[in-house]
Amino acid sequence: MTDELLVIRAQLGERAALAELVARWQEPVWTYVRRMLDAERADDVTQEIWLAVVRGLPRLREPARFVPWLFTIARRSVTDRLRGQYARELEARAAGEVVAEDPVEAMVDRAELVNALAGLPVLEREILVLFYLEDLSVEDCAQICRIPAGTVKSRLNRARRLLRAHLEEKGYRP
Amino acid sequence: MTEEGPRLSAREMIERLEPSLSPRRRVRAVAALLAGLAGTVFVAALWWSEPGPLPGRTHLAFALFTVFSLAWACYGGWLLTRRVPLFATDRVVAAWIGLAASVTTAGLVAVVAAQRGTGLGLPLAIGGLLVAAALVLVVRAHARRAALLRRLRELTGQETGGEER
Repeated sequence: MTDELLVIRAQLGERAALAELVARWQEPVWTYVRRMLDAERADDVTQEIWLAVVRGLPRLREPARFVPWLFTIARRSVTDRLRGQYARELEARAAGEVVAEDPVEAMVDRAELVNALAGLPVLEREILVLFYLEDLSVEDCAQICRIPAGTVKSRLNRARRLLRAHLEEKGYRP
Repeated sequence: MTEEGPRLSAREMIERLEPSLSPRRRVRAVAALLAGLAGTVFVAALWWSEPGPLPGRTHLAFALFTVFSLAWACYGGWLLTRRVPLFATDRVVAAWIGLAASVTTAGLVAVVAAQRGTGLGLPLAIGGLLVAAALVLVVRAHARRAALLRRLRELTGQETGGEER
């Protein structure tokens, strides 16, 4: 059953459909939160996200766009926790971020990525988690992070560069 | 990094969400909004149609009652928009309850005004406004539910037609 169908049934008031939706997306949401925050806060923030999702679900106008909507809510909760860090990083690079037009094309192994992620700045970490771990498209990432698609690509490029440097530092050779 | 996962299973998460999904909470929110609104209109109508000059204390009492009812209406409105999810079917039910409550309030206000002979114009206008607003909500709730059911039929038609993901 597609997400859209589940969302519509949940919006009509079917409790089983809502439960199925939570069961299907709880782990991806937790994964995103955990990669952005420490283990202590991950569970609380995940619960807060689901509460916001349940409260907002009746008003979701495009059930087909459930996933980007879900991660937009998740991101809001995470940015609330990391406000200081986001603000510092955004300020630091307000001048320097260029829009990249080249297509995203890099193979990153999932396990290595998870290990190295913790060392990256939040803006890069966030985009890598959404794009690689959650398998979201560049357009969805752009909607969730409220930035142009070009910025998503340039952040992905920078994130991969940082990641490579990070891995090489640890002695890993591709 | 060791493989870790969420401490709460999906089932536990749903259990934690239960309180905000309970029917009692929804009924309470709708009741607070409707009772608040109906109370405000009714007390204001009584106040307005009170014959003769009133002592200051009576004015104060009427004002307090109005504010009190308005506060309940605001609380109910806040619950319904921010705290309690009202799904499409709930919305239809809530809208009909709202319509019944507005018709009753409008009727009561009209009866009070007629008995006191203070002129029916204003009470009827306010009652009419209340009923009209409730009717709009009923129509919107039905339209939204119908749209969702239509889309549901389209999608289930596709799935049984072999296009399942």
